[in-house]
Amino acid sequence: MKASKTIYLFFIPGFILYAIFFLVPTVSALFYSFTDWDGLSASFQFVGFDNYSRAFTGDSIFRKTVGNNLKFMLVVVILQTLLALAFALIVIKNTKTNVLLRALYFFPTILSSVSVAFIWTFIYDPSLGILNQVLQLVGLDFLTQNWIGNADIAIYSLAITQVWFHAGQMLIIFVAGLQAIPKELYEVAEIEGANKWQAFRRVTWPLLAPSATIVVAYTTIQSFKAFDLVFAMTGGGPNNSTEIIATYIFDIAFRSYQFGYASSISVIFMVIIAIITYLQFKALRSDRISY
Amino acid sequence: MLKKTHFLRAGLLGMLLVLAGCAGESNDSGSSDNGDSTQISFIHWRGEDKDVFDEIIAQFEEENPDITVEMTIYPSEQYQATGQRMLQDGSTGDVFTSFPGAQFEAIHSAGFFEDLTDEEFVSNFDEGSITVGQKDGQQFALPYQLVFNMPVYNKGMFDELGLEVPKSWTEFQEMSDTLLENGITPIAFPGADIGPNQFMNSMMMNNAPDEDVFEKLQNGEESLTNEWWVKTLEDFQLLEERGYIQADALGTNQDSAMAMVANEEAAMLATGSYHMASLLELNPDLQLDLLAPITVPEEEAQYEGIHTATFMLAVNSNSEKKEEAKMFIDYLSQPEVASKYANETGQHLTVNGVEYESEALQNTSYWIDERNTRFQPRFLITNAQIEAAVLSSIENVLGGEDPMAAAEQAQQIVEENRE
Repeated sequence: MKASKTIYLFFIPGFILYAIFFLVPTVSALFYSFTDWDGLSASFQFVGFDNYSRAFTGDSIFRKTVGNNLKFMLVVVILQTLLALAFALIVIKNTKTNVLLRALYFFPTILSSVSVAFIWTFIYDPSLGILNQVLQLVGLDFLTQNWIGNADIAIYSLAITQVWFHAGQMLIIFVAGLQAIPKELYEVAEIEGANKWQAFRRVTWPLLAPSATIVVAYTTIQSFKAFDLVFAMTGGGPNNSTEIIATYIFDIAFRSYQFGYASSISVIFMVIIAIITYLQFKALRSDRISY
Repeated sequence: MLKKTHFLRAGLLGMLLVLAGCAGESNDSGSSDNGDSTQISFIHWRGEDKDVFDEIIAQFEEENPDITVEMTIYPSEQYQATGQRMLQDGSTGDVFTSFPGAQFEAIHSAGFFEDLTDEEFVSNFDEGSITVGQKDGQQFALPYQLVFNMPVYNKGMFDELGLEVPKSWTEFQEMSDTLLENGITPIAFPGADIGPNQFMNSMMMNNAPDEDVFEKLQNGEESLTNEWWVKTLEDFQLLEERGYIQADALGTNQDSAMAMVANEEAAMLATGSYHMASLLELNPDLQLDLLAPITVPEEEAQYEGIHTATFMLAVNSNSEKKEEAKMFIDYLSQPEVASKYANETGQHLTVNGVEYESEALQNTSYWIDERNTRFQPRFLITNAQIEAAVLSSIENVLGGEDPMAAAEQAQQIVEENRE
């Protein structure tokens, strides 16, 4: 009995850290979301649900950022998951070449986001950039674009950069998941006459579902919070076409000095991520199976 | 009204910083605390001025052995975003700098400016250039730099082609056509970063000669759908459609635009005088001057260019070392110190008695006294969301939108953000 009480003491340091870095900021954001605090002054007033009402009915930019973020998220989640899975299937065996390839795929992940932004801004430059030059070199001039200057495609260009940046990280999760699947199951599937697609559909995918859940959920959260890449590459432009919720919160809080309103958007942001992550977990859980 | 709740605020700031992924500080210190001396903190955003400030600080410390100056430089974006928060507890930024406009207003509202009205060193500055640092008759900040936010042009190229500085919109178009005929892009426009917020000033200065136009926009007396702004957007559209600015301008950053001018592929750089030194570093043979587009007939033109008094020096009202901080500003405002700063950074200053040594500065000094320039209109927009809407409408037009439609979209955002 005494020992079981003592064990709670060991929770205290962890709980304190958790409270300082997660609970208090979350509760304080919720608190300030009902105020008009400017982030600097010593005083503020309660404004009830005005900030939330403004976000949903009186702020066209916020609605645009939600749309931009959903586009960005969809492209990143689909492409990043599929590419990481495809590459993981290619490099699953522990040969020397595959180990080298895994390291190469993982390499972008260790770069700083500002460096990645710098590299890709140069790649996308309409006149000096390597992407348009390569397209011209191979006779695909009609595909050359103003990649981050054209408001219609800029958000997708940023999504591609995000995929390049983080796909290697997801590849490692998939490789670990794939290597954990017992080989006997594939042997049984082969004896039963399953072709490669059927083996993937009936054996690989169901047993990979836990890894896929982590990859999809993590990618979703990551794509919602891709602040640094967007900030460094386009600053949300042109014409707010790449403004996402995280960069908008920054603008509202630190450029417009409306911390109360920025807090309300942060709370909405948190709820959106929670709902999407919950739905993803639920959808992917239905695919799980054990043999 | 509620009292301070520091704990919650610290938490909120933590969360916002985590969400926003704020970058770490880029820092360099000029000196360190050496025991008996008083150390003051000097914060600003001019990374390119680090070397000359290091020298000036060393001289100041030599002349004032009981004071040391710790200089910390932040990237300008970060400084605009977090500068005022750093001033809150008084431990950082005994001497700090402020941008005019939204940042000045925010710092003033928070009460972080020490009143400098009665300080003797205020008289070291040009009276007409420091009004931007005033509020309700008090001098809160002293602009140090005088910048001309209008295109820099290749004077040598103009002379070679027999071109003269255009005095009307018709002449500007004729000049641009001549440049195009000679295979030269008239204007290098860094639309991916600072282009719209710099070039909008000279493009609108004569379309909306009323200097209160943005104040009126913010209080609802003016609209972006009115003639003055729609005409400005139409002028931008004309520049884009006729190829007077380079193709895909919205994807071009300032480095690429500068390279175009340095390589003489383009005749003008649509930024400002602060890029002249960098252009000359890239190509020392360039002969440069300033040229603002006159977007109206010659007889209707009221302004010839744009100026901004910026890099506003101020003392933190929360500082415990205000006297030492004022001594440092006093030192910076001495003509010989200011001259050193001006000549080594290639910039005009608001300090009286500065002697400009470089050819580029001497050749453009006439803009200070002899030309009718107007204070940068963009800095008169004190609401950051409204400023963003104005700039977005330019990007929208350059992206192919109809000027009136772009103006209407921007006006909607203005109305949503009026206070």
